[in-house]
Amino acid sequence: MRLSRAAAALLLALSSAGCALESADAGSVVHKRSLVIGVKADQPGLGLKGPDGRYQGFDVDVATYVAGRLGVPPSRLRFRTTPSSAREQALQSGAVDLVFATYSITAKRKTQVTYGGPYYVAHQAILVRDDETGIRNVRDLKGRRICAVTGSNSWKRVTEERKVAAVPVDTPTYGACMDRLTSGQVDAISTDDLILAGLAARGGAKIVNAPFTDEKYGVGLRKGDLAGCEAVNRALTEMYQDGTAAALLNKWFAKAGLEVTTSVPQFEGCS
Amino acid sequence: MTTTRQPPVPAARPGPPARRRGRLRTFARGRWLKTIPGRIRASVALLLALLALMGIVLTVAVGNARQGVQTMGHDAGPQVVATGALYFALSDMDAQVADVLLIGRDHGLGIGHDESLRRYEQRRDAAAQAAVQAAQLAGQDAKRQQNVRDVLNGLGRYEQLAGEAMLLNDQSGHAAGPPPGNVLRVYRQATDLMKLELLPKAYNLTLDSGATVRQSYESKRAAVLSGRAWVVLTAVLVLAALAVAQLYLARGFRRTVNPGLALATLLTLVLAVAAFAQLSAQAEHLRVAKRDGFDSVLSLSRARAISHSAFADESRYLLDPDRADTYEQTYLDKALAVLYVDPGQGKPVNLETYYATLDRDVRGFTPGRARFLGFFGDEAHQVRPAGAASDALGQTLRAYLAVQQNDRRMRELAGRGDRAGAIRLRMGTGPGGAIRAFDDYDRALVSLSETHRRGFDAAIAAGDGGLRGWKWLPLGAALVIAALILAGVRPRLAEFR
Repeated sequence: MRLSRAAAALLLALSSAGCALESADAGSVVHKRSLVIGVKADQPGLGLKGPDGRYQGFDVDVATYVAGRLGVPPSRLRFRTTPSSAREQALQSGAVDLVFATYSITAKRKTQVTYGGPYYVAHQAILVRDDETGIRNVRDLKGRRICAVTGSNSWKRVTEERKVAAVPVDTPTYGACMDRLTSGQVDAISTDDLILAGLAARGGAKIVNAPFTDEKYGVGLRKGDLAGCEAVNRALTEMYQDGTAAALLNKWFAKAGLEVTTSVPQFEGCS
Repeated sequence: MTTTRQPPVPAARPGPPARRRGRLRTFARGRWLKTIPGRIRASVALLLALLALMGIVLTVAVGNARQGVQTMGHDAGPQVVATGALYFALSDMDAQVADVLLIGRDHGLGIGHDESLRRYEQRRDAAAQAAVQAAQLAGQDAKRQQNVRDVLNGLGRYEQLAGEAMLLNDQSGHAAGPPPGNVLRVYRQATDLMKLELLPKAYNLTLDSGATVRQSYESKRAAVLSGRAWVVLTAVLVLAALAVAQLYLARGFRRTVNPGLALATLLTLVLAVAAFAQLSAQAEHLRVAKRDGFDSVLSLSRARAISHSAFADESRYLLDPDRADTYEQTYLDKALAVLYVDPGQGKPVNLETYYATLDRDVRGFTPGRARFLGFFGDEAHQVRPAGAASDALGQTLRAYLAVQQNDRRMRELAGRGDRAGAIRLRMGTGPGGAIRAFDDYDRALVSLSETHRRGFDAAIAAGDGGLRGWKWLPLGAALVIAALILAGVRPRLAEFR
């Protein structure tokens, strides 16, 4: 019996080794029964946590759709607030499985994160008061007061990248920017159009449709989860093909008069 | 010795067919195992069963390697690369239209009006052909088929708009520079359709079929490696059983070496070692073909397409002053995708910092230790120093730098209000002209891609060559070993007749 027992043990060991080799995508989001999704909690229209603790917005809806295509129903989804500064860390530590949080794809971040999508290409645009007629593109911001939100780079894209001599006015949040805009303390807010659309929905302001940057909102995955990334991309393709994307974009942003693109964006490629 | 207490293994190879009920009963009771010939027969059956198992495992592993090489080297791999041509052809169509509109009635500027039209049609045919490839690759996948159809439909609409823009442009007879508003309005529709709908879909198609190749690569390579482990395991079992049989016969019959079994042992060992080496080599050929070949060829073809598209953004920048800012931004975005440089903490990312940082990082480049990212960054991290690819990369980077220096000069001229000077530079085909410099860059990039292509072809050829002999080898070797075992045991059994 000794020989056969030894052979059986060897067989078992080798077969488990074989299995480990075959599932190179072990730990991928495609194999998870439930998912934790990192979203923003303070961006109206994209990711906003309500007083009841529920999250809502475009990011939340897109995440729910993609998770559904990955085989995870809403009942097994959990959302978690993930501020901009903590997104890479949250993915690396496994605190969240996926990030849908106005997460712009950049070459630098790609060294730490695998990106699915983008699920939408937002553009930096300008929000002005309803009665404003003098601002038609970014160059018209010269000499005007723009909101400079603490910790945000958006205003620098006007004054530093574009070298338009606008006057930045320090303001703590975009919500406070909106108050200052309507009360006449600033003349314009410039940031991603989807964020502006969320602000504009409060009334009293309009979006100037003169986009001047491309912001690729990607789906953050743990670095190296290529199988997960490819599955996310397939889900996003479907979301655009079956009309869900158009419906969601209209639901969240059409009211603000934003011209949205309802055709699938160019994906970044999984790496 | 433990062989005497081996369990009966009748399933794989039942003993002699039961001719009489009595024999069957004896067999079932296991009493036959108590006789010496019974034990020998059982050991032989076990040996042959193990041998058959080894043969099957080896055949499956070799089959997996064969399929892997076939998919990567002959089916999906080359087809995916061909669909990459779709994106390039589409984006170059729009580039030719932009040039035609920019030069207006000055038909001799740049590569010339007629040559642009000829290229436009050539690219359109190439796009249609690549779409057919993509459709074949999509197979039964309804969503991908839909994607291909969307691209073809969009292409029809695009051609209509582009044709209209070029017709209005001819009618206006404007001098080189921005065409009249009615031309621009139609062209904007065309180029937006291209940028927002056609190009993304074409790009995603290639990515998606590339994903299929990656998955098949991962699973085939893993199967080859685990097949290799299984071959080792089964070979060890066969060898152990042969050794035990050898010892048993040596003791029981007072003979030193059974030549049949000894030869069988030697042959099994040789087969196992050869199989191990061959499967390892196959896994490595697959890896080289995928990582150094396929991946690089695909990402360089994307870099090339994006570079052409960026170059066309220069024409669009000169063509449409109202949108000049947007086209400058898309130019920067594309440049960053091809070669990303980090201007440093606190510095804005704009063309000005891009030129400066690019100059520093490209001049200070040594293979394997690049400071930049993007497609060329990936390439720089991957190439081995002092190889053909490394030389080609160095040349490509220098040519890329020249292209960016022209871009800087062109924007300076345009910014100063010298639009005619900017157009002359941008459309220049002679020494110092932007088109000349871009063509040099394009050639360098293509030859860089060629070095990877050759690496890919070599790896696939090595894979094919290595497998050629292995179609019948596992079966043949197993049969020979089986014959040797039987030949070795037969005389001993004969002693009991």
